[in-house]
Amino acid sequence: MQRFEYSTDRETVNAARVRALEALLIEKGVITRETVDKIMAIFATEMGPFNGAKLVAKAWVDPAFKKILAEDTMAAVEQMKFVTGGAGAEGEHMRAAINTPEVHNLIICTLCSCYPWPILGLPPYWYKDPSFRARAAREPRKVLSEFGLNIGPEKEIRTWDSSAQIRWFVVPERPAGTDTFSEEQLAALVTPESMMGVAIVKPPST
Amino acid sequence: MKLQHYLGGLEGLDPISLETRVFVEAWEERIFGIHTAMMALSSQLDLEATPSTFNTEWTWADLRKGAESMNPFDYFKFRYYEKWLGGISAYFVAKGYITQIELDARTETFLTSAPVMPKGGDAAVDARVRKYLLIGDDPKRERSTQPRFAAGEAVCVADPKSVDHTRLPGHLRNKAGIIDSVYPDAYTYLCEIGPDGIGKAMPVYCVKFDPETLWPGNTEQNFTFYADLFEAYLEPAIAS
Repeated sequence: MQRFEYSTDRETVNAARVRALEALLIEKGVITRETVDKIMAIFATEMGPFNGAKLVAKAWVDPAFKKILAEDTMAAVEQMKFVTGGAGAEGEHMRAAINTPEVHNLIICTLCSCYPWPILGLPPYWYKDPSFRARAAREPRKVLSEFGLNIGPEKEIRTWDSSAQIRWFVVPERPAGTDTFSEEQLAALVTPESMMGVAIVKPPST
Repeated sequence: MKLQHYLGGLEGLDPISLETRVFVEAWEERIFGIHTAMMALSSQLDLEATPSTFNTEWTWADLRKGAESMNPFDYFKFRYYEKWLGGISAYFVAKGYITQIELDARTETFLTSAPVMPKGGDAAVDARVRKYLLIGDDPKRERSTQPRFAAGEAVCVADPKSVDHTRLPGHLRNKAGIIDSVYPDAYTYLCEIGPDGIGKAMPVYCVKFDPETLWPGNTEQNFTFYADLFEAYLEPAIAS
């Protein structure tokens, strides 16, 4: 629903303005012609949800690793030997919330949009939307049902508000029917949404 | 009271956006990149100097201050990266890196003909940006004092004066909680925020709340709310 009036050229003006700003900053020697493209390339290949998916898959096949991930998340991340080291900007201190048959975890940031960049990359639009940030704090079950995820009343929901400098992510439960899967095959099933708690990892056949 | 500090629990909002893309318009990644470069080139970081002309401080706190100072209706009116574009453009103008006239004129040019981007720049600038992304800006410091609270202890959240920026979610002010865990060492915040109380290195706690105490009779069952809170935001529980 559109609640506000916007000019019809809203996006073309935004696009022209941001390119104008970038052009001026290059001319003035603040950044280079390559700066923004190089940053985006890092998020496409080195800092992204593909790292988080590998962490989750390893936790599924290695109970000792899962224990370290729960108790000393950064030590577990270090073991993964990610290209970036896994502890860069917005991931200096991370904590994993582990889903179990009794507990479903949900990560939110009611004040802004804190997100663990080195292992999840950049936050999806829904996570930054004020409606999600407001509603997930008070009515998580209702919010999750809008994502198509129904958590029964017998399962506890734990919501973690990222209000200091610790960045949180969820380790979802391993789906049934994946006993013969390799770590790589398992990692391919893990979505960013499942690592923030608004989805579960679905078995491969569905 | 700033609405932006009190989003947690707000009622009457629309269904959740299920948009899973990071950038919903192609231009949004340009402003994200500019912001990230500014954080990486910011003057307070202990990284090697570069030929970049950026010589002032820019952190998440500056971006957040901008969003928190907005008219609350505008906060909801503008999309996430529109707010960034507004705040960051205003910063570059206010600090004298560019003028509003230059920005408006170049925008007009780019609206009437395809944008032509200038070439050039020193590779050392991009090397520092990469380094920042890989190592970050660690806020953890050695503790100089013992934590005031221990795991399991009952606490009450403080209600400091509302200033331009805070890391205290409004819905937790004056509420009772239990220390779930005490983080090792101490954490600084990106800047000092005056009477709000954070900035200097201090212990940080994960605090557990019963949502019934946050929104009595108006929340869900079998649900626990946790928040990471700086020590300045906590007081001993009031004896009952």
